[in-house]
Amino acid sequence: MMSVEVGMLPQSVKILIIEDDKKMSEALASGIKAVGYEVLTAGSAEEGFFLVHTQQPDLLLLDLTLPQRNGLEILRQLRNEGADLRVLILTSHNTVEDRVIGLGAGADDYLGKPFSFPELLARIDALMRRFSPAKEVMQLRVGDLCMDRKARTAHRAGETLDLTAREFDLLVYLAAYGGRTVSREMLAKDVWRETSRFTPIDNVIDVQVARLRRKIDDPFSVKLLQTIRGLGFSLREPQP
Amino acid sequence: LTLWPSSNLRTRLTFWYVGLLAVLLLVYATLVFVFQYAVLTKQIAHDEIQDVVTVEGLLYFDGNGALQLRQDYYSRPQSHLLVDRLMEVRDASGAVLYRSSTLNGMGLGGSLEPGEGDADFGERLVRLADGTRVLRISHVHGMSGRQLVIRLGYSLAPLQARMLQFLLVLLLAVPVALVIAGAAGHEIARRALRPVERMASRAEGITATNLHDRLEIANPKDELGQLATVFNHLLDRLDQSFQQLQRFTADAAHELRTPLAALRTIGEVTLQDDVEKESYKEALSSILEETSRLSETIDALLLLARAEANQGAVASKVWPLRQLVDEVLGLLEVVTEEKQILVIHDNGTDCHPKVRADRGLLRTALLNVVHNAIKFSPAGSSLRITYSSLEGVPPLIELEVQDEGPGIASGEHERVFDRFFTSSARETAGQSGAGLGLSVARLVLERLGGSIRFDPQVKSGAACIITLPALIN
Repeated sequence: MMSVEVGMLPQSVKILIIEDDKKMSEALASGIKAVGYEVLTAGSAEEGFFLVHTQQPDLLLLDLTLPQRNGLEILRQLRNEGADLRVLILTSHNTVEDRVIGLGAGADDYLGKPFSFPELLARIDALMRRFSPAKEVMQLRVGDLCMDRKARTAHRAGETLDLTAREFDLLVYLAAYGGRTVSREMLAKDVWRETSRFTPIDNVIDVQVARLRRKIDDPFSVKLLQTIRGLGFSLREPQP
Repeated sequence: LTLWPSSNLRTRLTFWYVGLLAVLLLVYATLVFVFQYAVLTKQIAHDEIQDVVTVEGLLYFDGNGALQLRQDYYSRPQSHLLVDRLMEVRDASGAVLYRSSTLNGMGLGGSLEPGEGDADFGERLVRLADGTRVLRISHVHGMSGRQLVIRLGYSLAPLQARMLQFLLVLLLAVPVALVIAGAAGHEIARRALRPVERMASRAEGITATNLHDRLEIANPKDELGQLATVFNHLLDRLDQSFQQLQRFTADAAHELRTPLAALRTIGEVTLQDDVEKESYKEALSSILEETSRLSETIDALLLLARAEANQGAVASKVWPLRQLVDEVLGLLEVVTEEKQILVIHDNGTDCHPKVRADRGLLRTALLNVVHNAIKFSPAGSSLRITYSSLEGVPPLIELEVQDEGPGIASGEHERVFDRFFTSSARETAGQSGAGLGLSVARLVLERLGGSIRFDPQVKSGAACIITLPALIN
């Protein structure tokens, strides 16, 4: 199997979604359940409060624009009460100022709508990992592809791969997600360190992925770097 | 003009006008009164001196040695009754030798003063026992070997009565004049300010729906005309931005509708028939691609809004332009390598000009321009980047990005900067993005005091020319 940084998730992790849009809420719930978390949903602030106090979730996904009360008020009240849970804000108000206000009110992370679902999963994992931080894995392995982070070298089937620095970073980033899909937004932010994603960056990412694929996959029969149309990329052994 | 801040301009103008006029009239009346009094008094003194000279010839001592005044020179006997002359004659010792009947036995002033009448005609204001004020002339006259002092005076009472009348007339006339002036002033102010009222009511009627309406300008040279002109220019600018906003909103709605229509059609077509699992996957993938394009369009719109709101004042630091361009080329290097595009730097000047800018915005603008050039460059071609300095105040740095692509169709050199513009030329079909990249670039560069255009002279490929104000140390 793949050796990944994400590690096994404790089964008891409970996530509460406070979101008034039913479709959004349902889609999020089924997507998050699918990766093994327990999910609760609330359509209003009152319901959310009730669930926070009765169910004690570990993580709250909070929409800021709720019918009766602003999400920020809920957050401030929860923090005043000293509620012990991680909070990830999901909102379409996505300027730097909004982020500062949200984080200032006690949020642990902030994700602007529309976001890519793989990115949401990555953020949730990152927040949950803070409880039991996984140690930095120096050796990564996907199939017969091995990467050494310390020496910054990669091998496949015993052959050394000649990668540029960017290509190596990209490969390690994909490998660290353990077969999960990585979206272009995540790559733009984490590998290219761009603040926003726009057409030129997308183009650069696509070309870079194509070149990486040529180096790590083209000479071999088993293709590891997958493009999932509309979603992004993943590095994994193909399912039989 | 701030004494009555609540009253209107017309009232205040009238008030100040009337107040000023009142002060002027009072000063004028006082001067006239004083001057008139002085002139009349002088006239009386003059008459008295003449009278003294006349009287000198009419005095004589009668047989008893008493001093008499000859009365027979009057043409008519009753005329002497009209003479209200007051006269007294004393000798050097002060004894009264003669006193006119008009004095009714009262003395014309007290006893002789030392040296009285020595110097020609001594003039003095005295008060009789009954309170009448008299202007008195004293004159020393030698007669029959004796020194006589002739004292002669007229009562000032008639003069004072006349002056009082004059004063009353003045005091009555001034308020009347002020009332008339006030009414006239108020009316003049009203007429002068009437254009302001018209402008106000006209301006009040201008709303978003009739922003093209303008104030009428009666006389463009006067102050109110200038005010109206300035106001009309303001309306012009407002109208322009409003129209731009409306166009933009309409464009944006249209552009958002296109991917939405695609989303809807893909969904509907896929759901219509029972299809394979693969077809569903295919449909969902293209839906996701469309949403991704949609959200990029929205991001670009927000960036445009941000660039429009940011007037260059915030977060503007100084950056070497070359460093930013190199960074952008570095980011796009993988694409240029892939297309085997040769990037040629042509640094015309040795200096490394710096520019003042919001780094993120300028970088986005440059990225859009360079990416645009690379996108349309055929494989194996070259991309030439030229820097040159332009003299001027302020000095400008010119950056030219020239590609060997299909170029820009004639007549589209300006339109490529329009929001959501996509070329009608066939060569570029299928390569267009959201159509906002160059609009963003133009907006950002114009905010920085620079410009961007495509050189219409260049026929092979496209040459994008960017100018920016340069800071050379």
